[in-house]
Amino acid sequence: MDVKVKILRYNPEVTEDAEWVTYAVTLQPTDRVLDALHKIKWEQDGTLTFRRSCAHGVCGSDAMRINGRNRLACKTLIKDLNPDREITVEPIKGLPVLKDLVVDMEPFFDAYRSVMPFLVTDGHEPSRERIQSQADRERFDDTTKCILCAACTTSCPVFWSDGQYFGPQAIVGAHRFIFDSRDEGTEQRLEILNDKEGVWRCRTTFNCTDACPRGIEVTKAIQEVKRALIFRRV
Amino acid sequence: MTELERHQYDVVVIGAGGAGLRAAIEAREQGKRTAIVCKSLFGKAHTVMAEGGCAAAMGNANSNDNWQVHYRDTMRGGKFLNNWRMAELHAQEAPDRVWELETYGALFDRTPDGRISQRNFGGHSYPRLAHVGDRTGLELIRTLQQKIVSLQQEDFQATGDYEANLKVYAECTITELLKDGDAISGAFGYWRESGRFILFDAPAVILATGGVGKSFKVTSNSWEYTGDGHALAMRAGATLINMEFIQFHPTGMVWPPSVKGILVTESVRGDGGVLRNSEGKRFMFDYVPDVFRAQYADTEEEADRWYKDADNNRRPPELLPRDEVARAINSEVKAGRGTPHGGVFLDVSTRLPAEEIKRRLPSMHHQFKELADVDITAEPMEVGPTCHYVMGGVEVDPDTASSVVPGLFAAGEVAGGMHGSNRLGGNSLSDLLVFGRRAGMGAAMYLDSLGANRPKISEADVDAAAAEALAPFELEGGENPYTIHQELQQSMNDLVGIIRKAEEMEQALSRLAEFRGRIAKMTVEGHRQFNPGWHLALDLRNMLTVSECVAKAALEREESRGGHTRDDFPGMDAEWRKLLLVCRLNADGSVDVTKKDQIPMRDDLLELFELDELKKYLTEEELPA
Repeated sequence: MDVKVKILRYNPEVTEDAEWVTYAVTLQPTDRVLDALHKIKWEQDGTLTFRRSCAHGVCGSDAMRINGRNRLACKTLIKDLNPDREITVEPIKGLPVLKDLVVDMEPFFDAYRSVMPFLVTDGHEPSRERIQSQADRERFDDTTKCILCAACTTSCPVFWSDGQYFGPQAIVGAHRFIFDSRDEGTEQRLEILNDKEGVWRCRTTFNCTDACPRGIEVTKAIQEVKRALIFRRV
Repeated sequence: MTELERHQYDVVVIGAGGAGLRAAIEAREQGKRTAIVCKSLFGKAHTVMAEGGCAAAMGNANSNDNWQVHYRDTMRGGKFLNNWRMAELHAQEAPDRVWELETYGALFDRTPDGRISQRNFGGHSYPRLAHVGDRTGLELIRTLQQKIVSLQQEDFQATGDYEANLKVYAECTITELLKDGDAISGAFGYWRESGRFILFDAPAVILATGGVGKSFKVTSNSWEYTGDGHALAMRAGATLINMEFIQFHPTGMVWPPSVKGILVTESVRGDGGVLRNSEGKRFMFDYVPDVFRAQYADTEEEADRWYKDADNNRRPPELLPRDEVARAINSEVKAGRGTPHGGVFLDVSTRLPAEEIKRRLPSMHHQFKELADVDITAEPMEVGPTCHYVMGGVEVDPDTASSVVPGLFAAGEVAGGMHGSNRLGGNSLSDLLVFGRRAGMGAAMYLDSLGANRPKISEADVDAAAAEALAPFELEGGENPYTIHQELQQSMNDLVGIIRKAEEMEQALSRLAEFRGRIAKMTVEGHRQFNPGWHLALDLRNMLTVSECVAKAALEREESRGGHTRDDFPGMDAEWRKLLLVCRLNADGSVDVTKKDQIPMRDDLLELFELDELKKYLTEEELPA
């Protein structure tokens, strides 16, 4: 099928502003947006720039705004995008654009690092594994599925208007340890999230949950962290 | 003089997958200032795609398991061509590395009593793979990434600088290693974003760049897998071994075309999935080779009983090592018993309740639903072989991961020897941890031995590296690198693929020679800033070198073993088991292949096997008296 793909192109070496460029591509309905981008790059314009790696939704490199919604290009099939009309592709919002669909991820990773995203324990390291019951392990399964693609954070209106807000991903990253029965850093982590740029900025719009390509219930995780802060227990 | 930014480190690790991160953690913990350089964003490495798990004889699921059993399974899987010392270290140290990862905070599925759960996998005698659903690689990378963040925060407390001792240079590609005499003195590369050059002055370089799959058309590998470390090592004077052995994973997706090659985890079979041809027959029973007949069931009834009672039944043949299953699928499709899209059926829907499938294989359930519109809880998947792993790599000292070039180390997929002619599933993640750590230690020891004699960077070499990197911009009117890449992939797939013949490989070599000429004359559009065409042009040189190693070594080895199947030499030959094929680079950039004897296995390790089994692999004079 013949499809029109409209991409927001930006090359700081050439122009100051981004501009929409439309490409006509022949695709299978089961092709993905990533395949469309590859075809354009290989056959029409070798300078088209975007990140991608594993190409099936595990590495989290190719989050972009497709038809106005944050998705992974490698998991979005053309047939599901109403391809009779132009398909729009633009970079995720709220992070500085470097070139075409590539954004500067550093502010996002700064937020990720700020919530102590690692296991905190006291005392000696055991020589074998720590014991964790199946129920305790299940408790935080959902938030360990995160692939750091930034689709949630860059779909959040609070993050768009206020770059200081940690954003949903960082809270998901903290949730993963706050509710881990092995972790002993909960108090410190909750204190970080109690900050004025922390969880309280969340306005529960559910954009993040809708955007997550891994199906993580992001808003629910944020609510659980808020509740843990109010009652000071997990 | 070339304009560039310069950094001084003790150790530079190239690659940020499991092996690279584990090596960097070790080097930093040994007190060495360490840089990690990676082509993608930090945390996106190919390791994230490992689904099944990490093999380690912890004995949590079956207390009969121990390192000796794991060692035996690994040697059998590799058809005894493995470097036995690497296989020994791997089997002995894997449990400690998994437990260590757990103390770093890794999530694992648990047994009812709260220990790390272990699952069945092809070629492993007992349930041995520590896992997290089917996203074990992702969790492994995330855990190591978290460990690095915690070390950086520790350094911040001590020095006021997060990156004082451990810094990540993401989206940065190394194009050349630099030497002072025989020894490594640094590494030269460019920032992908700006195109600007960067120089690392460092006496120790650890290669952890992964594999070479992007030289093949149908592959489960991601874009980074262009054989960079293999080629860098060769250009620096190091040797590669076992390059003829490429693992074709038996179960990649075959439909729709856009996702052809993407992996379907072996856990589907470990958890009860069976392979059927278009006639509905479980064909794997027809493909159990003699060397494995004693360990695998010959009836469906026995195979099915094994899932419940593994101690009193033999294993289903779907769980044979990957090379066997891949060849069997290839034969069924060739015989006209394939599926509509040229694969075979992998069915778990009639074997487990839908809820159980969703719980055990959530990623597979999503992958098929989203990409192929197939509900694996209700219908079978269509699968076929896909290029997955290169057993070959840099020839290293097993204990220190050092190559023959002083200061150059290699760990993980880019290193050769550990897996012999065929890798068992689950042995990759454990390999990364065991030898990543050893490479970090090896580099630290090497630095201590250098004392004040730090190798120096030659400015002339830096200028030469810069000129080489810019060469693709020099020409006009040449070909686009994407076209050459696609033709290279097609040639390797068609002519040096899963079944090989002398005349086809000769044809491949003449095509590679032709690509060499075309690559020298290709043209890149645009400028240096984030220019994917330029990046591919530089990676293509590496793919060409590696492809030549694969084709030349494969033509040379006149037998079939593991990931190397010759139509014209179908049998396994004990004389060839004793031989390694060693690849070196000639001065003109072509590849030279020579034979080298394997070091005989130590007696106490030989004694772990029954004489009858050894007779299947070893020559008369190698057998114990």
